[in-house]
Amino acid sequence: MAEVRRKSGKPLQVNPHKLSQPMGATLAFLGVDRCMPLMHGAQGCASFTKVMFTRHFCEPIALQTTAVTDVTAVLDGGDYSILESIKTIREKVTPELIGVHTTGLTETKGDDIRGVAGKIDVPVVYVGTADFKGGLESGWTLTGQALIDQLTARCDRIDAQKMVLVPHVSMQPIEVEKIRELIEAFGFKVVAVPDLSSSLDNHLGEKQASLSSGGVTVTELEQLADAAFIVTLGASVKGVGATLQTKNPAIRHRHFNHVSGLIGTDALVAWLLEVSGRDALPAAVERWRKRLQDAMLDSHFSIGQTRFLLVAEPDHLAAMAACLREVGGKVTLAVATVDSPILADIEADQVIVGDLEDAENMSDAYDMIIGNFHTEALAHRLGKTAVMRGFPNYEEIGNALKNDVLYEGGAYFLFEIANAAERMRQEQVHREREQIRLQRIADSNLDSRPLPNHA
Amino acid sequence: MSSKPKIKELLVESACEHSTDKKGSCNAPKPGATTGGCALDGAQIALFPFADAAHLVHGPMSCVGGAWETRLTPTSWSGRDLTQTGFATDINTNDVVFGGEKKLAAAIDHIIAQYAPEAVFVYSTCVTALTGDDLDAACKQGTERHGIPCVPVHAPGFVGAKNLGSRIAGEAVLRHLIGTKEPEESTPFDINLIGEHNNTGELWRYRHLLEELGIRVLSTFSGDGRISEIRTAHRAKLNVIVCAKSLVSMTRKMQERYGIPWISCSFYGMTDTSNSILAIAEALDDADLIERTRRLVAREEARLEEKLIPYREIFSGKKAVLNTGGNKSWSIASALQDLGIEVVATSVRKSTEEDKAKARKYLGENAVLMTEPASQQAKVIDETGAHLLLAGGRSLYTAIKKRIAFTDVNQEKKKSYGGYDGLLVLAEDLKNSLQNPVFELVDRKAPWQK
Ligand code: SF4
Repeated sequence: MAEVRRKSGKPLQVNPHKLSQPMGATLAFLGVDRCMPLMHGAQGCASFTKVMFTRHFCEPIALQTTAVTDVTAVLDGGDYSILESIKTIREKVTPELIGVHTTGLTETKGDDIRGVAGKIDVPVVYVGTADFKGGLESGWTLTGQALIDQLTARCDRIDAQKMVLVPHVSMQPIEVEKIRELIEAFGFKVVAVPDLSSSLDNHLGEKQASLSSGGVTVTELEQLADAAFIVTLGASVKGVGATLQTKNPAIRHRHFNHVSGLIGTDALVAWLLEVSGRDALPAAVERWRKRLQDAMLDSHFSIGQTRFLLVAEPDHLAAMAACLREVGGKVTLAVATVDSPILADIEADQVIVGDLEDAENMSDAYDMIIGNFHTEALAHRLGKTAVMRGFPNYEEIGNALKNDVLYEGGAYFLFEIANAAERMRQEQVHREREQIRLQRIADSNLDSRPLPNHA
Repeated sequence: MSSKPKIKELLVESACEHSTDKKGSCNAPKPGATTGGCALDGAQIALFPFADAAHLVHGPMSCVGGAWETRLTPTSWSGRDLTQTGFATDINTNDVVFGGEKKLAAAIDHIIAQYAPEAVFVYSTCVTALTGDDLDAACKQGTERHGIPCVPVHAPGFVGAKNLGSRIAGEAVLRHLIGTKEPEESTPFDINLIGEHNNTGELWRYRHLLEELGIRVLSTFSGDGRISEIRTAHRAKLNVIVCAKSLVSMTRKMQERYGIPWISCSFYGMTDTSNSILAIAEALDDADLIERTRRLVAREEARLEEKLIPYREIFSGKKAVLNTGGNKSWSIASALQDLGIEVVATSVRKSTEEDKAKARKYLGENAVLMTEPASQQAKVIDETGAHLLLAGGRSLYTAIKKRIAFTDVNQEKKKSYGGYDGLLVLAEDLKNSLQNPVFELVDRKAPWQK
């Protein structure tokens, strides 16, 4: 559909929005209850990651580092610093799971981390997430697969009412919750993997969190393979379906690239109707569909005259573009963090893998920007408007409760975008009128000057 | 010769007071119990405020992805603010296997062609240091190709923590920039401000006062800094370290090399700001200057005192517990005391011996120096009847449980509390905290709960 440029061709990233694979892994482990994510690398990667998510979610983030140094880097094959770390962590807290994920440093020196699990009695899941490969999406997905691969027991039974839900990394906690509720409304039990909806959803906890406080439990992960269905949302997580099927081939896998907008949500709802054997929608779902329809009509005028730049992870781009496109939004440029098979399906004139320098160089193509907080400065430089979406957003609070998915979230999303676009145009009109006014004052001052004396 | 600093030497820096104690803060990080950034982080913090220089991180996105455009270090540089521009080579598997030097050279070319910086700092990271990319060669060739200093900064995260990184940054500047240019003119009152990052504009809270006295800030390392100025820093008459012990090695070397004496200052709160400005004047050793400085300090204090009057009543009898790190354990305490708030406890968890001594001096005999603030502070609040907790976000729950006011000390990353006028900003924020009902209210039991 779109014209796609998959390689930047530049030797560097300028004003990058790409995030690293270990960061995606950390976030996925934070969606497991009472987990301590343990990043295997030098201390800085974990610190940057922790600061980023702390600021994005406005929540304390549980994350530890194996703190590899130049000395241990040379001597250690990985075991020492990981085992030491786990020992130290357990002196203070009792995690249900330790989520070991590597970084470029430890991958480059070739640490073998698989052996670690056998040497301790606390459940450990390990995943290789070198940061010179992939990005946020792949780190999230690899971790989701590792959780299933290493924890889930094989099973040959099926619980017809059980459904596993796998969201892509850019879904905020409330969005996962809303999708879960929708599926539950059709009579299913839902286990989300990973599940940020109860861990990083901005709830006031009982005490300061030294472990993740909420998420899918280790027991639930162990007993995942009796699910009748696994639903993957987002191209980046599609492979998780096959991973779970290795534990029980009878599990049926259904994939959606996104569940945003009318068509995207309709697809999920239609399928739920089919597999639940029901013949009517829950009343609330039906109501929200009508509200979205109305929202589409109310917002089409504003959004339909706006040209958008979207800056996000590939799956997030696909979702937002589809939603905007349904009401005539012109997505003229979409800038992805990394390459992905979904790029060709994104409903945009042009899709590139790139950075904000690329976006800045193509600024003639769009009026309004949707992207992470870095696009705020970009918009400012260009005299345009930006609406914040994606990781990280340091500019605003309440990110975990921003809902853009399904009928309900779609309505909120369209209203927010339409209002922002309208405000932007109003400001332009004000500026233009002010200029005309000043010009007229200047002109009339000229007119009222005393005539030159010709005498 | 490689410009890689001798890490061991920097670690056992003689001017670093705690380094004789082998169990001190300089030791290797503990696996599984380490917080805080790496050396690269520290080096970036030290150098990023040079807004006229590009900062190119040679590494993957972990090292820069979430970290650029996060530091509020404003600049008066009229060109594009490169502090808020992220550059990274974003190395891939290919670069790891075959080396990333070509990419690095091309990246330097791209930056200089597109952004015309006054200098390019090139930072190594764990992976590129491990694979052995030759940063020195890339920088040397970049400098030769473009006639613009390209400065290698060898601070990969695995060599240590932030402090070490900022020392390494100091080394790099000392080696590659300072002394490479002569100032157009010299005055007897030329000083360098070392370690002043102009975070949230703190430098701008007092720089005008120095200028009013005829003290010229020849260069800063590196708040609102200019590359052309730091290159002339060797001609200063005095180095002033602002709240940054990690840069003592830099000033000590400048003393050895260029005979520049140094003093250490803090511009937090009224008392410390006054003392610091006076100390600078005294170090410059000019009777007239000292006399004028006394008058200026008296004037500023009187002006501030008057503006503080409405706050005095609110703060009178109020007690605060402070839980923050390093020099802030005493510098913020001093500011609180200026406001008439009694600081009954402060954290010395990561403090050096010197910081601990200072904290004791500022707080007095009865105050609690908390070594394990996370577990201690709740009890300390009970025992002292404190009204206010100043700490990082993680401690918010303690304040809510104890139903006392909370102020996030990291606010100072967004707002400037420094200098005379910053104290007014702090006063206003503390007043708002103390008067906010939310801390009493938020954790209340719902009517149906027993
Ligand atoms: S520890 Fe190494 S890899 Fe991690 S952020 Fe620091 S320099 Fe980069």
